[in-house]
Amino acid sequence: MAAQIEKLKDSGWAWAEYEPDAERPWNLAQAGHLYRRAAFGAGWDQLQQALTDGPQRTIDILLQPQGDIAEFNRTYDEYEAATGSMDQLRAWWLRRMIQTPHPLLEKMTLFWHSHFATNAAEVKSARLMQQHVLLLRNQALGSFRILLEGISQDSAMLLWLGAEANRKARPNENLARALMENFTLGPGHYTAKDLQEASRAFTGWFVLRSKLRYIPREHDENEKQILGRKGNFARDDVLRIILEQPATSRRLVCKLYRWLISETDKPEEDLIAPLAESFAKDYDVLKLVETMLRSNLFFSPAAYRRRIKCPAEFAIGIVNALEESVSTTQLANDLTDLGQNLYDPPTIKGWAGGKHWINSTAIVARRNLAAALLRGSGPYGNKLNPLVVAQRHGYATHESVRQFLLDLFLQSDLDSDVYDSPQKPVSGKDDGMEEQTRSLAYAIVTLPEFNLA
Amino acid sequence: MSCTRRDFLKATMGAATMLSLALPAPNVLVRAASTGDAQRDDRDTVLVVVQLSGGNDGLNTVVPYADDEYARNRPTLRLQSKDVHKIDSYIGFHPRMEAFSRLYKDGYLGIIHGIGYPNSDRSHDVAMRHWHTAKPGDPNCQTGWLGRAADSVWYANQKDMPAVFVGPIAQPFGMRAEHVIIPSIQTPDDLTIGPAPGESQRKRAVESFHADKDNPLLNHLRDCTANATANSRRIDAVVKATNTAEYPSFRLAETFRAVAKLIRADVGIRIFFTELGGGGIGGFDNHANQLGNHCALLHQLSESLAAFVYDLRKDKLLDRVLVMTISEFGRTVKENGRRGTGHGEAAPIFLAGGELKSRLVGSHPSLTDLDNGAMKFHTDFRRVYATVLDKWLGFESRTILDRQYEPLDILNV
Repeated sequence: MAAQIEKLKDSGWAWAEYEPDAERPWNLAQAGHLYRRAAFGAGWDQLQQALTDGPQRTIDILLQPQGDIAEFNRTYDEYEAATGSMDQLRAWWLRRMIQTPHPLLEKMTLFWHSHFATNAAEVKSARLMQQHVLLLRNQALGSFRILLEGISQDSAMLLWLGAEANRKARPNENLARALMENFTLGPGHYTAKDLQEASRAFTGWFVLRSKLRYIPREHDENEKQILGRKGNFARDDVLRIILEQPATSRRLVCKLYRWLISETDKPEEDLIAPLAESFAKDYDVLKLVETMLRSNLFFSPAAYRRRIKCPAEFAIGIVNALEESVSTTQLANDLTDLGQNLYDPPTIKGWAGGKHWINSTAIVARRNLAAALLRGSGPYGNKLNPLVVAQRHGYATHESVRQFLLDLFLQSDLDSDVYDSPQKPVSGKDDGMEEQTRSLAYAIVTLPEFNLA
Repeated sequence: MSCTRRDFLKATMGAATMLSLALPAPNVLVRAASTGDAQRDDRDTVLVVVQLSGGNDGLNTVVPYADDEYARNRPTLRLQSKDVHKIDSYIGFHPRMEAFSRLYKDGYLGIIHGIGYPNSDRSHDVAMRHWHTAKPGDPNCQTGWLGRAADSVWYANQKDMPAVFVGPIAQPFGMRAEHVIIPSIQTPDDLTIGPAPGESQRKRAVESFHADKDNPLLNHLRDCTANATANSRRIDAVVKATNTAEYPSFRLAETFRAVAKLIRADVGIRIFFTELGGGGIGGFDNHANQLGNHCALLHQLSESLAAFVYDLRKDKLLDRVLVMTISEFGRTVKENGRRGTGHGEAAPIFLAGGELKSRLVGSHPSLTDLDNGAMKFHTDFRRVYATVLDKWLGFESRTILDRQYEPLDILNV
């Protein structure tokens, strides 16, 4: 392991494709790790298939799964478009996360939702929010350039930023500020003057009755100077100039690093540089995600369990492992209590994530959500039944059920004292096994380790 | 008095019977002495903010009964001098705020007159947002002052949650934080670990795991899990213990009872936020037939708060607690022809607790020197915020409010 850490300092090795060997074998723990990051956890069959397929083939499938994904998403888009309520939109999205044949796409849509952090409470239109997240999904693994162009013309975004009127006489700085400070360059990589000039380039654009409109006479046709470039720039020129800045590419790579690889430490500049350079060429998100997922670094101790699951990952991880679906209307409310109200990130900076997800009251709330999901009665009904799942896969004795659930949820990768703590079901009343297995599953998913992604 | 029984029933959804309920014997609050120099955050003081949603009519709450202008402007809404609970020769409490009058006489209630802010807004959403962000000049402000307060002290501990919203409505914007997740609860049980599936009893699993020197995230999770278990037990113990404190059967009283329990449980919550008047625009917004509804709400506020104060006093906890009311604006001096009032400006803030230095702060605003029909403010609400942050909680108001507002000298701290 020490040798591995040493090697990780070499960015060439760190980003090279992981090939299992005796020192770094492909095993259940690595498969679980991959499914936590590139999906919302896995069921038993997926884990077993991954063991058979090996890492790179499994990643192929996660990146481009078989099946008619477009058709699946079209169906859900229609469901969503038909609803007028934010509560239902939340429920549909969570259902999509659970049911999707392409979980990585939803994982990245969630990433972009936190990145662009548009807030439904301010937009006040379920239809516009639906279109906003559709835009995120369409480019979630596509082109950041196209995504950014879409964002700058998105009615929900402009309403949320208070940038729905960009008059020549009174340029609105809100869009330019959000773009430069939050979505691309980051603080310190632009000046107040750049921001003012960019705002002038955005003049002429309005949201009128929820629709984007361009009014040519409101556009400032004079010369602007932005980030060292001079010209009669319009909106798309500003985006182009911003995307040419190395800071943009570097910032996005760092942010994705935190989402896919590790929240514990800031990556070294040397490590980020090759990816940032490559990403700047085409802003191809899929390629960047693929590089990260396939890498030695991803399958190293520097990444393993170095993220805290967001509430959606925590809950859907339980649901997926138990091969069922649950009421996502209820789940959306419960995730709100855990601090993740979809379509309503706390600020334009999105969810802070990491340690911030967890404090003693959040632990209480996660435990109680796990209990509700596994209870077999109450708001989530009898959908999730760990004993039935164990039996389906051929495990029926007390000890084998225990081993199965530890493998399923945590790949049994635990210190020995922790491994021993969830008690195995004990013989008792004839009908006690199911209840005991629920209790056991609860003990496992409430271990601190289960909160790590 | 035109406040009818029906109004009460409407506002309280039930008879105002007094309930006898059991609460535990006082917790002996032993705090480890802080090591090293006195840190600002080693206090155990608690702030309880009560939002009166809709814009409370300060003039019919603290009534200038002796002012001819009051009588002249309020032909149908005026409260008679014989009915008000007199504070001095000029003002008195609303007739159904007998409990506030008692609190005041006992020294547990203070009134800060003439609170508002420059260029105040008279729409509910905007004005309430201003009170929540405490940054009226920044329409893009995305966090609430209490959320920022929680964020500002999170780094010191990182395990326990310093702030909680208690109530049935969606968490108000005032608690919106960039980093920390502030829970919304309705009862103390919401902060306790419920029974595991398959078990009827709460199981007391041993939750001690060794520290993992290698993974800071796992350590954090283990620490928080240990605290979650310990805090949950403490809350359970308080909830189960018997206590004879009486609370009226109002929703707000139940909320205060929950807050009192959590204060007793001593789980590190420094800020409680709750609300009267309901979500949306709020019950204090009375453009028509104000008298009965307003009367009922004030009665609820007054009885509920008094029950809370005397409950805490009984257990010698009152000196740790400060309650503050806020509302988005006061109302117009002149009634509007529909037995109601319009959106106004200045209004009083109430403080309650065991460490009030003075009961009356500032002068009552003039009823003739008006701004668009409403009394003018003389004290910015952010000075009150700075007072409770700096002087009471020991937080740094400057970082939370973005500048140093001059605190008021109104607390014995």
